[in-house]
Amino acid sequence: MSVFDKFLAGFSFRGSTPDYAVGDTIEVMVTGREGDAVGGGTAVARVGDSTLRIEDAPTDAVNTRVVVDVESWDGSGHRGVGTYRETVGESAF
Amino acid sequence: MTETRDVAPPATDGGEPPDGSEFGVGDGSDDGPRIEFRGGKWASTVPLVFFIAWAIFQSGVLGIGGPDGLVVGALVGTILGLFLVRGNWKTYADAIFEGMTQRVAATAIVAWLWAGMFADTLQVGGFVEGLIFAADALNVGAATFPAAAFILCGLLATGIGTGYGATIAFVTLFFPAGVLIGANPVLLFAAILSGAVFGDNLAPVSDTTIVSAVTQDADIGGVVASRFKYAIAAAIPAFAAYLIAGAAMAGASLEGSAALREAATATGLVHLISMGVVIATAVAGRHIVEAVSWGIVVAVAFNLAFGLSSVSDIVAFTVTETGQFTSLPFVVVGETAGVGGSLYTGAIGFFPLIVLTLLIVSMAQIMIRGGGFAAIQELLLNRVATTVRRAELTMVLGTATINGMITINTAAEIAIAPYVARIGEKFNINGYRRANILDANTSALGYIFPWAGGVLVGYQVMIGEGGLRAEYGLDAMVVNPIEVVPYVFHGWFLLAIFVVAAITGFGREYIPDRASEEVSRA
Repeated sequence: MSVFDKFLAGFSFRGSTPDYAVGDTIEVMVTGREGDAVGGGTAVARVGDSTLRIEDAPTDAVNTRVVVDVESWDGSGHRGVGTYRETVGESAF
Repeated sequence: MTETRDVAPPATDGGEPPDGSEFGVGDGSDDGPRIEFRGGKWASTVPLVFFIAWAIFQSGVLGIGGPDGLVVGALVGTILGLFLVRGNWKTYADAIFEGMTQRVAATAIVAWLWAGMFADTLQVGGFVEGLIFAADALNVGAATFPAAAFILCGLLATGIGTGYGATIAFVTLFFPAGVLIGANPVLLFAAILSGAVFGDNLAPVSDTTIVSAVTQDADIGGVVASRFKYAIAAAIPAFAAYLIAGAAMAGASLEGSAALREAATATGLVHLISMGVVIATAVAGRHIVEAVSWGIVVAVAFNLAFGLSSVSDIVAFTVTETGQFTSLPFVVVGETAGVGGSLYTGAIGFFPLIVLTLLIVSMAQIMIRGGGFAAIQELLLNRVATTVRRAELTMVLGTATINGMITINTAAEIAIAPYVARIGEKFNINGYRRANILDANTSALGYIFPWAGGVLVGYQVMIGEGGLRAEYGLDAMVVNPIEVVPYVFHGWFLLAIFVVAAITGFGREYIPDRASEEVSRA
C-alpha cells in the first residue's frame, strides 16, 4: 500500500454488515464457536454484524487471526461459510 | 458490497516472523496458571480498581498531576491484591513479572525513550522561538492570535509529541505576548490546549499515539496516516471557530508585540524539516526507532550547523573542577557533577511513565489470570456491545469516561486499551480503527477539564513561583481552568467526530480490509 493510499484508507462511510464473494480469501479474527457449547462446534468470525462460519478450523482457534477461503455467501442474511487455511496471528490482548 | 481482499502476511522488518503471541497475553483463562481469589474472579480487579480510585483522587479531586504519585498508587494496589489470593501467592507474583515482560510494554518504552530525546533536542534548538517568529512575521493581531496559537502549538506538539511540553512552552512564551497584544486570555489558553490535543493525537512520537498503536497490533506510521482524516476534520472547524471567537472576544491591546519579537528566532523553523523527517519515514513504514533516530540526527545537525544550540545543550558531562577533559565541547564545569543535555533530559523524562506502565500492565495481567478481565469483557459483550455500532460507541464512550476521570491521559489509555482491543476484535474491527478510537478521547479529554493534566501544567506556568502573574503583575495572565472548558474546540470536535463516526461508520475498517504492518515495527 502506497503512502498516499494509507492516508485515504477508510475514507468512507462503512456499513455494519460487510459482504464477501465466493472465492475471496480473507484474514479474520475468530470470535467464537457455533453449535456445541462446550469446546466443540464450528469456529465463527463475526465481521461487523455479518457472520462467517469457518470449517476445519483448529479447536483452539478462538481469538486467533486466520486466513479463510470464502466458499459460500448469503448477501441478504450477511452470512457465509469458509474454509480454514492457516493461522497468522493472535489477539492483541 | 463485495470486495476482493488482498491478504498478505504481515510484513516483517527482517527479524523473526511475527506470530502475534509476543504482543499479548492470549486468552488468559486457558493458557496459563489461574490465580484463585477470596471473593471470586471479581476480586482480581482490586489492584486496578484501587489504582483508578487513587488516580481519580490524586488527579481529579486534588488536582495533583504527574505520573510519579500514580506509581505509588499502583504499588499499593498490587500489594492489596496479594492479600486476597487464596493459597500460594507465587502465581500472583509470577503474574506481575509476566505482565511486565510483555512485548507491548517494551515496545512503548523503547518508542518513548527515542521520542523523548527527539523532543528535547527540538526544544533546545529553538523550535518554539521559530514558531513565534512565524507568528510575528505573519503580523498576527489580537483577533487572529488564538487561531495562530492553535496552528503553531499544534505544529510544535506534532513535532515533539508531547502536548504537555507544547502547552508549557506556549503558555510561557506565546500566551503573555498574545494577552499583551489584546487577545482574550481564556480563548488563547484554550487554543493552545487545542493545539496540544492535535499534536498529542497525531504525532508519531506522541506517547499516546505509541500506546494506541502497539496495544492494538498496528504500526505507528499506518496509525498516523489513518487518523489524519479525523484530525483534520476536527481541526478545520476548530480553526474557524477560533477565528470567529477571536474576533468576537478580543480585548484591549497592552502593547505586547515587542515581547513577542524578543523571543523570535527565524532559524528555529528548520526543525519543521526535522519533524517532517520523522513523520515521513514513519508513515512510509519504517520502524519508529529508525524514523526517530533519523529525526534526532537531522535535529542535532541543524542545531550545530545553525548555532541553535551548543554540543553541551545536547549532551553534557558536568564536572566540578577544570581538568584535562573540560576542553571537550561536551564536558562542562558546574556546581554539581552529573550528566545532562537534551538527550538525557528527554529520555529520563519518561522514566516515571515507564515504571507506571510496567505496573499497570502487570495489574492487568493479574486481572486476566484471576478471571476479572474476562468477566468484564463478557458483561460488556453480552449486555452493551451487542452490535458493531454499539461496540464502537462503547469503545468511544468508555475511553472518554475513563480519560475524563484519570487525567494523566497515557495512564488512562493503557488501562482501557485491552478492552478496546478485545471488544473491537470480537467484531473484527481493524487495529487502525481501534487505535484511532482509543487515542482520540485520550488526547482530547486530557486537555479539557479543569483537573486534566494538560490544563494543570499550563495553569501552573501562570500561577507558579516566578510564573506569568509574578512576572507581569497582571491578573489577565492567569486563566481560571474552569473557564477554558467550552473553548477547547479541537478537543470537543474530535470527541464529537468519533461519536458520529461510530454511529455512521465513517472511517470504519474491518480486519479483512487490510492487515496492519507487523507490530514490532511499531
